[in-house]
Amino acid sequence: MTIVNYIDHDGTAHEVDVPNGDSVMQGAVDNGLEGILGECGGGLACATCLCFVDPDWRDRTGEASEMEKEMLEFSAHGTEPGSRLSCQITVSDELEGLVVRLPESQY
Amino acid sequence: MPIDATNPVPPQFPRIAGRDNIPDHVPGELVRSVGLTFGPEFLAAPHEYMANLHGTVPPIYYDTSEFMNAWQLIKHEDAFHMLRHPEIFSNEGATPFPRDPDDYFYFIPIEIDPPDHRKYRAILDPIFSPKGVLALEQKIRDLANDLIDEFIDKGECEYTEDFGRPLPVSVFLDLMGLPQEKRDTFVKWAMDLLHSNDRAIMAQSMASITAYLKEMIAEKQANPDDKVISRIVHAEVDGRPMTPPEIFGFVVFLFIGGLDTVFATLNNIWMWLAQNPQRVKEMIANPDAINAQVEELLRVWAVTFSGRVVAQDTELRGVKFKKGDRVTAVLPACNFDPEVFPNPTEVDFSRPRKPILSFAGGPHSCMGAHLARLEVKVALQEWFRRIPEFALKEGTKIEYRPGGVVGPEHLPLVW
Ligand code: HEM
Ligand code: FES
Repeated sequence: MTIVNYIDHDGTAHEVDVPNGDSVMQGAVDNGLEGILGECGGGLACATCLCFVDPDWRDRTGEASEMEKEMLEFSAHGTEPGSRLSCQITVSDELEGLVVRLPESQY
Repeated sequence: MPIDATNPVPPQFPRIAGRDNIPDHVPGELVRSVGLTFGPEFLAAPHEYMANLHGTVPPIYYDTSEFMNAWQLIKHEDAFHMLRHPEIFSNEGATPFPRDPDDYFYFIPIEIDPPDHRKYRAILDPIFSPKGVLALEQKIRDLANDLIDEFIDKGECEYTEDFGRPLPVSVFLDLMGLPQEKRDTFVKWAMDLLHSNDRAIMAQSMASITAYLKEMIAEKQANPDDKVISRIVHAEVDGRPMTPPEIFGFVVFLFIGGLDTVFATLNNIWMWLAQNPQRVKEMIANPDAINAQVEELLRVWAVTFSGRVVAQDTELRGVKFKKGDRVTAVLPACNFDPEVFPNPTEVDFSRPRKPILSFAGGPHSCMGAHLARLEVKVALQEWFRRIPEFALKEGTKIEYRPGGVVGPEHLPLVW
């Protein structure tokens, strides 16, 4: 288990224990957080799992792949520094305490 | 009022059909009879016909036919709007598949609106997730090769019968925890139910399917395993076990949703491959691009539609919809929306990735989408490995028959 901090658009923070190997998207959906939808279930096919990785964490979560970047263009906010599709970030010990911010809406 | 899944009753909406039954709020200039799924122009070349709709009809039009009158959407953006607003565009009563009114059940999860919908999806999400379906990859590969073994030496096959149909049925049986010996029986039931266009045969096959699935549900109740039927049978919703109609409605919907769609998709794709040997070479030369190739082929060969019922008056692109109106998103046409996919009918494996609508979108996005992608991918890889060059048998005339899932009826191939 690894703690991930999801921060809603209005600032509300949710500290969630996510099983290692799950994605940041699954961690949110399985715990009823509404800021992430994940309509396609993690297939890089819907762009409704957008999150913004806090600057301090960006080198640990790594870069989006080319395909993820193309999909990000189609998300509600396009590409910004730190924007990622959360189904593509896999939770591991290394990310203990990860902070991601959620957009106001995924559409 | 939201439906009560534990107490299923047939929907009360009237089904409006025909030119004489156009509601007053529908402007005359938006009325069309496009003939999707059955008109002669559609059947001559369905995908081309749907792509051309972007030049021949308004983005939103009111389609009328002797079967059903409904708004139809062909813009990518509008379809997503419909699919992503279930509070306005409801699924309750939107699946026009006939059932016995005295033994009624809902198709689950498709006929359940959010928020209850998620409770059902959650039961199977782990199995159908991109990671979950990978557990099936080797099995699919083996099944594909077993089928190819049966006909490769003959130098020809009837693709739909010898590969397109049995592959998804075999995968389905494995997934559900049903015996492979049932393969040919399932193929026959599915054909009779979905392709016979004969009411007596359809009713007979539905009765056989119902009896068999009910027997299997009872069997899994007694002897649990980790496959899909057993998981459904033993799952809880809201902390209670599911009722028999819920269990049955879930299992039978997987049969209806998970077989014919894959079948038609494979048939369409192989029809294109057989006619485009240069593109086959291009694909074989770029094995690492297989995922992008699959996605692009799924885009151009979308096979089905999403239907909804308007739950509250609304407006889209200036067109007024009233409560009770039916709406159909013409998903294959949306995948040809030139605003989103320039040169839409060109198969281009290097397109930037964007959401395709073949599996719909929104909360009811196809639950089997990752499995279907995997089936198409593995089928392509194994076929290319063993039969890299193949063509349509000379003199073949491609024929489509009326039906809600669009694919060629026969596909004789030679190599
Ligand atoms: C290429 C193959 C497939 C295509 C094109 C396809 C297409 C679709 C579409 C368009 C929908 C949404 C319908 C709507 O919005 O009204 C859907 C829903 C669904 N599909 Fe598929 N499908 C395929 C394969 C499968 C498979 C293999 C399974 C399962 C074994 C499956 C199970 C389902 C289920 C359960 C739903 C309902 C989801 C919900 O309501 O939440 N599909 N499919
Ligand atoms: S969940 Fe669909 S792209 Fe991430």
